[in-house]
Amino acid sequence: MNGLIEVLLLGFLLCSFMLAGSSRLMHCIKLVATQGLLLGILPLAVAKVDGGSLGGEALFVAFINVAVKGAALPYMLQKAMQKADVRRELEPLLGYAASGLVALILIAVSFWFAQQLNYSEQVVSRLAAPVAFSGILIGLFLIVARRKALTQVIGFLCFENSIALFGAGMMLHYGALIELGILLDVFVMVFVMGIAVFQIKQEFQHINADLLNTLKDKPRK
Amino acid sequence: MPLLLNILIPTIFAGIIFILGERVAAKQTRRLFVLAALLNFFCSVFSLQFFYEGSAAFRQWLFLDHISTPILLLTASLFVWVSIHTVGWLQAIDALTVRGAVDGPAAPTISSRLYSEAIFLACMLLFLGAMNLAISATNLSLFWVAIEATTLVSAPLICFQRSKAALEAMWKYLLICSLGIALALLGLFFLAIADPTRSGLNFFVLRECANLLDLQWGKAAFILILAGYGTKMGLAPFHTWLPDTYSATPGVVSALLSGALLNCAFLGILRITQIMPEALHTSCKQMLLALGFLSLFTAAVFVIRQQNYKRLLGYSSIEHMGLLAIILACSLRAPLMQRVLVWHLVGHSMLKVALFLLAGNIVLAYGTRSVNMVKGMFESMKWNASLFLLFLLLLCGCPPSPLFATELLLILELSSWQGAVLLLLLFMVAAGMLHAAMRMCMGSNPKRESMRKSALLAEKLAPMPAISGFLALFFGCSLLYMLLKLF
Repeated sequence: MNGLIEVLLLGFLLCSFMLAGSSRLMHCIKLVATQGLLLGILPLAVAKVDGGSLGGEALFVAFINVAVKGAALPYMLQKAMQKADVRRELEPLLGYAASGLVALILIAVSFWFAQQLNYSEQVVSRLAAPVAFSGILIGLFLIVARRKALTQVIGFLCFENSIALFGAGMMLHYGALIELGILLDVFVMVFVMGIAVFQIKQEFQHINADLLNTLKDKPRK
Repeated sequence: MPLLLNILIPTIFAGIIFILGERVAAKQTRRLFVLAALLNFFCSVFSLQFFYEGSAAFRQWLFLDHISTPILLLTASLFVWVSIHTVGWLQAIDALTVRGAVDGPAAPTISSRLYSEAIFLACMLLFLGAMNLAISATNLSLFWVAIEATTLVSAPLICFQRSKAALEAMWKYLLICSLGIALALLGLFFLAIADPTRSGLNFFVLRECANLLDLQWGKAAFILILAGYGTKMGLAPFHTWLPDTYSATPGVVSALLSGALLNCAFLGILRITQIMPEALHTSCKQMLLALGFLSLFTAAVFVIRQQNYKRLLGYSSIEHMGLLAIILACSLRAPLMQRVLVWHLVGHSMLKVALFLLAGNIVLAYGTRSVNMVKGMFESMKWNASLFLLFLLLLCGCPPSPLFATELLLILELSSWQGAVLLLLLFMVAAGMLHAAMRMCMGSNPKRESMRKSALLAEKLAPMPAISGFLALFFGCSLLYMLLKLF
């Protein structure tokens, strides 16, 4: 157990939890950016605690990670928000108090589930897996329980960040090339989704994803 | 090196087309586009010599084996047909456009464009490059990066023609597929934990040391990756995006998505199945069988009384992906079934590309995707109509279709009650598809006069689907001949 890493992980968990309960999109974007930032500095903290030095390659990947997830993605989301002219998630399918409760239950489930697994010795912290699972579940929950397309993107980013946290927490490394590839994919994805949100706004005059339901098997009467 | 060229050529040409953009005549970019497709095809043929060969350093990233080689060649040749057809299709739209507005019944489906033609062609080439990378990737995480890239570059293709339906389809495709693929990434992390060699998910190392895999983490990894790539491949119950997307896109895009992309996603499931330890084979087999039969069942239920002929073809894709999953499940016990797997995949892709291109022609001529609104195809566009009916029959497994041979071999391999259920479901799908096709082909066409010009243009677009479909027919004949000689 080491203080610094646990603090980072708990900060990540707190961000996921607050995402479930906040209505202002700007706030949500900032929370996701904080998640990305914590995720980016986690490997550095691990290296510091272990006493080992970090290779130039790993340092580079960590830097790109912070730049993309902590700065570039939030910036693009903010642009998309301004273009689509939405500030709040006004009518979530599930209210904010209830969402907070659901998030708490999801966190409890994650901690219970993570206890069932048996790990190898190479784990950064016992907290890493449950925190990652909580983020994954909360991200999925946001995608299901929110109407606005933009909030769904934020939910997806929370989901993606948590999966990356799982990888970092389990000390899994694929090499710089692959990790940069994954980052590039996420970057382009948010870029494309941002454009899609804008186009949907143009065409439909709203970005309520639950109203995107004209494609069905039954012919329209 | 040719394998690397397979990825670089489409990417570089995409860059050139994107940069040239509107600055040169559309004719030039279209020529470049077809040239890239042809170059890619020759490069794929050339890379055959790397089958089983190649230096160790090279194989760390890219390789070909007896399953990925046919898929690579298939994708390259399909892309040639599709690229030539795309150019013809764009020219047909140009011919229909009079003073900036589209003339004739096709007008509602050819609404204004969301972005320029050059970006569309560039995205198609990038899509090809990403698929080639996925097909030849050795490292499972590199495969993941490539599959995710295919989603991202194909999403813009879906809403080339601006409409509410296309935007909705694109949103569903992006969100559902990205979620699925992200699940697969989690599965890859699980696999990395299960892997005692810490090889960084190199396929060869994992296959060598399959029996050392941690069973608990390995099984969880299999479930997550099956669900993840299963979403992309269109296995029920993760298939919901597929019919929506296919119905709203231009025919050339749905042809590529169905004929080429689904194979790549399937390759991911195949690879993860190949590296499972023997202790997990039974549970893997059960999961694959369950998803396969569920997909067949879903297709059978939704094909009956289906009102949209492009959705109909989409459900048929779900059916065939289900069949592939079942064949894969059988191949765990009988390795010879791996050949059947490749045959089925090749036959399905060729026929499905032909059918989606023909469906695109029908949309161009009639301007509707509804079965009820298309009448008297034999009367107004006889080439398209006869090819559509013929290839649909082949797709349903009428001999001498290659699918007839593979489905027969599959049923011989299954237990008797499974075989009976499979036959029943196949029959239901065939009945639903042929019912719709006959209604479209027969009767008299009330719109005959107003659509004379667009029907003529659609008839001119028949050769490419014909080549693809007749190649499948030829393949089926030789397959049946070979099998008959064996018995």
